[in-house]
Amino acid sequence: MNEQLDDTALSQRFPWVRLDHDTKNLFRAWLDRRFVITRCDDCRRYHHPPKPVCPACWSSALTLTPVSGRGTAHLVMLLHQGAPAPGVDYGKGPHPVVTVELEEQEHLRFTSTVVDCPPEDVRIGMPLELVWIDRYGAPFPAFRPRENG
Amino acid sequence: MRNPIKDQVAIVGVGSTGFSRDAGERSPKSLACEASIRAIRDAGLTAKDINGVVSTQEPMAPQPHRLSAALGIPDVTHFSSPTPVAMFSLIDAMNAIFSGACDTVLVSFAFQRLPWNSRSAARDPFRKFDITGGVVPMPESMDPSAAYTAWASRYIHEHGVPREALGRVALNMRANALRNPLATMKTPLTMKDYLRARIIRDPLCLLDMDVPVDGADSFVLTTVEKAKEITDHPVVIHATSVGLVDQNDEDQLPSLAHHGQHVVVDALRKKSDVWLEDVDVFFPYDGFTIITLGWIENFGWCETGQAGCFLEEHWDDASGRVLIDGRIPLNPHGGSLSEGATRGSGHVREAVVQLRHQAGDRQVEGAQTALIGCGGFFFNSQGAILRRL
Repeated sequence: MNEQLDDTALSQRFPWVRLDHDTKNLFRAWLDRRFVITRCDDCRRYHHPPKPVCPACWSSALTLTPVSGRGTAHLVMLLHQGAPAPGVDYGKGPHPVVTVELEEQEHLRFTSTVVDCPPEDVRIGMPLELVWIDRYGAPFPAFRPRENG
Repeated sequence: MRNPIKDQVAIVGVGSTGFSRDAGERSPKSLACEASIRAIRDAGLTAKDINGVVSTQEPMAPQPHRLSAALGIPDVTHFSSPTPVAMFSLIDAMNAIFSGACDTVLVSFAFQRLPWNSRSAARDPFRKFDITGGVVPMPESMDPSAAYTAWASRYIHEHGVPREALGRVALNMRANALRNPLATMKTPLTMKDYLRARIIRDPLCLLDMDVPVDGADSFVLTTVEKAKEITDHPVVIHATSVGLVDQNDEDQLPSLAHHGQHVVVDALRKKSDVWLEDVDVFFPYDGFTIITLGWIENFGWCETGQAGCFLEEHWDDASGRVLIDGRIPLNPHGGSLSEGATRGSGHVREAVVQLRHQAGDRQVEGAQTALIGCGGFFFNSQGAILRRL
């Protein structure tokens, strides 16, 4: 379990994130491959990225809640150039970046990449499911195509 | 909707360095000073007439007190450094004048290409600017420039439009820039060129993105009373608004049917005595071509998803650009895509020049009203209507 990892050590595991006290525990959960989204204990609405209060009802009673990781591609772009990252080689082909609308709530979205699929086949509306990949030695939630239903 | 400031503040001075992809060994402060001196002289004023200084927070642009010191402005009672894009600074200056915080304001915008924009910029040892905040950039970042591409994919998906719809935006701006001596881009552009341009982030290519430049624009704003002492036909700010919706994180935007532009348009329409039928010249922002299509549709020039068709219907083959109803140009200075990425200051400057009837062979005959839609979808949507009295 990484629940006990202190904030300094956590920052070192995610050099690509500007962590703060509102977002840190979402990333801490990734170290245990737990894909969680902030949910309000009072009104039960999810929101992302994590905010200090629920934007719908201003409750501070927020819980990082496991979600299914299932969703639908809402926005799709293929980077022909971009920031470097381990395992991303723009010389071999474009790198897909996809904003996925999660099945738990309308307009609740998470942006990552898609694996196990040729980039040119990644389409808006495509059903996707969570898959963990590695990024700089830490688990990183990505998506792959799933059978509809 | 209240609008007590309507027609109460005038833009009486404009100054520009012009724009290029390499202004040589000059600091942004040097560019800001040149444009500011031009603007103050253009207004027929001197440093002692200025008591407000607004300097926009562009990377490496001078802070307002540094600009004030460089220009020897004696006593300043209002100074600020709003974030881009352009209307934040103009609205701040306007409000400061109307509230009595000051009387006459210098507004500055200074731009310098960042080290990663070009090899010559990277060679300049003084261009050090850290935009990352110390974190390693990631391909999956939804920074605003990537986010416009992502939402362009959604627009194309929802409306089934071809790339030519975006291409017409780029062609219009280039044709206009060719008639603007201040513009960076000086070579003609064809649809074939556009369709062959390098894809950066599919579905957008190099020519869908504005061109980083060195240069500066400055403005002088004052009360309409003072403006009438200076000129017979002041250009006044008739209405302005900025716009934001609650879910404005780039990837959480509810939809293309509800974002900052919609809030701006609704407010401008309620605050203004004039609307589209009165507009003589239209300035839709074009940091990315998709933003321009958004402004055209959201202002109501055409239905949602129809901006590409609208541009085609109103295309003037003779001049290779858009003239709405054969009369109203879009960004006659060439916009951010082809004059240079001034984040809207070029749009405002050209609006003022057009309303003063000083645009030379770009002049829209008898222009009285300019409509500006500045900024994009997320956190910098803004607009203005300027009029000639």
